[in-house]
Amino acid sequence: MKYKIIGGIIAAVFLIGVVGSVLVLTSKPKNTVRIVSDGRTLYTIDLSTAEDETFTVGYGGHENIVEIRDGRIRVADADCPDKTCVRMGWLSNASMPIVCLPHHLVIEFTDDDGDVDALTS
Amino acid sequence: MKAKKLAELALLTAAALIIFVVELQIPYPFPIPGIKTGFANIITVYAVYHFRAHEVAMIAAVRILLGAVFTGNFMALIYSAAGTLLCLLGMIPLKMLIDEKHIWMTSVIGAVLHNTGQMAAALLLMQTPQLLLYYPFLLVSGCLAGAFTGLCAQYITKRLLKYRKVKR
Repeated sequence: MKYKIIGGIIAAVFLIGVVGSVLVLTSKPKNTVRIVSDGRTLYTIDLSTAEDETFTVGYGGHENIVEIRDGRIRVADADCPDKTCVRMGWLSNASMPIVCLPHHLVIEFTDDDGDVDALTS
Repeated sequence: MKAKKLAELALLTAAALIIFVVELQIPYPFPIPGIKTGFANIITVYAVYHFRAHEVAMIAAVRILLGAVFTGNFMALIYSAAGTLLCLLGMIPLKMLIDEKHIWMTSVIGAVLHNTGQMAAALLLMQTPQLLLYYPFLLVSGCLAGAFTGLCAQYITKRLLKYRKVKR
């Protein structure tokens, strides 16, 4: 009996995870992108008007190379050990930010249309 | 501590470390931080059922610390330490409730708690609530990975029981 209850709890957690994943995956991309380092917003970029460029975001002696091309943004390279952020590829989903955990870096879509000029730091 | 116990704990820690290092070489198709099978946790789950709480904690602590030394990734150390702490805090009491035949259930709950601890540490460190959007993926992967490592631990237990009988 108790195993049925525990099994039920596990199944519930799994289902919540599946439903949540589907919800997250189906959200649409937006135009404005925010680059957050260690909790502070470094840049707000409007991808629809941004020019192609590559720049470096540093954190404590380490760096991530961020690339903007054809209205898309990604981490082109990083000197972290796992390179998860690089493998995440282009930012394509409003609710799935690109994250580099070792360097405290987040690149995400945002609703804030305040500073839509190319780069504002 | 008796020499035999010391040797057993050291053996398990070494096995966990080897599994951990081998697993590093496996490329994962999901580019989401925190998602992996965690094969080394087979040892942790096994140890929870066969050793006392402080002994399991010792295995886990040495594994995490040396794992960070081997990979050189000390940021990951914080996340895995937070995850393992919560995981052990959940699994050790659970062994009173769940017997060894259902070890995969303990393992699933442990894996989900591990991911929860990682997520909590990441939220605290990065102060970015958007990270929570990864949590559903971590829940799914935690359930699957936990069930898998739990089943592995179950098979290991069977084999070792046979071996122990022969020895006596």
